[in-house]
Amino acid sequence: MAAAEVWKFAPAYELPSWPHVRAPDLDARERLRYPVVIAGGGLSGLTLACDLLLRGVAVVVLDEDDTVGVRGASSRGICYAQKSLEIFARLGIYERIRAKGITWSVGRTFSGADEIYSFDLEDDSRSEQPPFINLQQFYLEWFLVDRIRELDEGAIRWKTKVVRVEHDSCGAVVHVETPAGAYALEADWLVDATGANSRIRDALGVDAHASRHTDRWCISDVRFKKPLPVERWTWIDAPFNEGRGVWQHLMADAVWRLDYQMGEHADPESISKPEVAGARLREQLGPDVEFEFVWIGPYQYRDHLLETFRVGRTVFVGDAAHVVCPFGARGGNNGIQDAGNLGWKLALVVAGEGGESLVDSYHVERHAAAVENLRITSRTARFLAPRSAAEHRLRRAVVALARTHAFARKLANTGRMAQANDYPPSRWAPAGARSLQNVTVDATTVMALLADGTRFAGLWIGGSDRDVASLADVTRRLPFAARAVPAEGALAAHLHAAPGTLVLVRPDAYVAATIAQPTPDRVEAALRCALALDAEER
Amino acid sequence: MNTDPNIAEPDAFYEAWVAAHEGLSDADSAELDARLVLLLANQVGDLKVLLDCIAAARRAAG
Repeated sequence: MAAAEVWKFAPAYELPSWPHVRAPDLDARERLRYPVVIAGGGLSGLTLACDLLLRGVAVVVLDEDDTVGVRGASSRGICYAQKSLEIFARLGIYERIRAKGITWSVGRTFSGADEIYSFDLEDDSRSEQPPFINLQQFYLEWFLVDRIRELDEGAIRWKTKVVRVEHDSCGAVVHVETPAGAYALEADWLVDATGANSRIRDALGVDAHASRHTDRWCISDVRFKKPLPVERWTWIDAPFNEGRGVWQHLMADAVWRLDYQMGEHADPESISKPEVAGARLREQLGPDVEFEFVWIGPYQYRDHLLETFRVGRTVFVGDAAHVVCPFGARGGNNGIQDAGNLGWKLALVVAGEGGESLVDSYHVERHAAAVENLRITSRTARFLAPRSAAEHRLRRAVVALARTHAFARKLANTGRMAQANDYPPSRWAPAGARSLQNVTVDATTVMALLADGTRFAGLWIGGSDRDVASLADVTRRLPFAARAVPAEGALAAHLHAAPGTLVLVRPDAYVAATIAQPTPDRVEAALRCALALDAEER
Repeated sequence: MNTDPNIAEPDAFYEAWVAAHEGLSDADSAELDARLVLLLANQVGDLKVLLDCIAAARRAAG
């Protein structure tokens, strides 16, 4: 008889902590006022802070804690999508992410022992950054904190708890408590990045429209020696998990994330006991594989979506604004992309170079993205957790046909991986806006071109130096730089742009407009529209 | 018989298909799918294709 197995736990991750520093506000004779105050130092708050500092905007981040990650939890997000990585390339932390993280592009979905479908995201990639890198979320936050401290050592105020916020039409007063005492600071713009349980949102009376799903899962983060492919593997119905779903994915430090779907009525405490989680792992890995736990965490997912991401001078980003099911990595990546959308807009508004309604365009664009992400992730959740015998039957039909027929593979849905969402037509982008990948242009890249200040780039396809010089006057008056790009190059191909057109690229690498026959007047009109400089109705 | 991907938005179709079954008894769900097969068969029209589809559905049974 085999002896009872002994379950090993790896030592906890060693996370850095940063000292609380007495705020200058405590010794000031009057309340200090800042252009942008960000409440919350998670992924979206830190990304926005870093972005704004690089754009020359003074920012203060208020964080309750003195470290990264969530205490007691190992990791939340793990998959970082191309658009996020491109943003991090501009912020200067991409190389650290690439060195520490796991680069991947292939996903496979199984039913029982059979592969049902696979994808390789590299097929559609033209970027300097890969489709995905996996990394524990706290590492990413750590790299962001280091970068922010390089730019402004005091920007993040640790151990600083927001206790009350007063709002008016020109800003907010934020009351905080710190180890050195309580004080209040004034903000022209307050960004709520305090996450899913935002109290700022609740205090403002903004309804989150929350709903909770009944599907239960249990994460086991594990280290073991069995060599497995560095791919995203998902089982719709795994034989080693009583016919329920399983996710298998590698993160940094050789830690595998194995995520097991549980019965709807499973008790979270008992399914996360080491002996129960260990038995699941033993079933999956086989009898001879040694492993050690890094973390075990049961969860149920939920979603919410605010009706508006802006109330007066308060703006909501990341989980404070929207939460979706985890499938397809559309949570953290969209918090990061909220920050990528808002950063340049706030910077231009604060500098007086853009109209205030640019902040409304943040709502219009990112709310539309959140609606799309909610729809896409809800469809995946429904596929993974059929609610009736009939729904199980429909799914069995898909899986049975998918084994032999390509069309049915398209119906099997274990997650549609996060992409940069297209934005709908709006008064700031009459033709809508779509993201441009970080393609190489001459000896540089799109993100490198956009890294210098906060300016639009006018890419004149097949243009000459004389063409570019004809826009010198526009360049002087508006945040804009023109550049000729080869009509035959990778960028022109990626843009599907004909020679002679000018593609107007926003600071967040979204295409704002394509101008067929560029003249200074046409370029200026397109820019003024995208900068909200005309017809400010507010 | 075309078994290459041909459904314009597969996830939207599946969502609608599932939604149509919402709140039905198991027997009523089976009846719904039978009516749906007839409607779709009429879109296809071609008997050879329909017979191929019937045979493929039989073959795919687990």
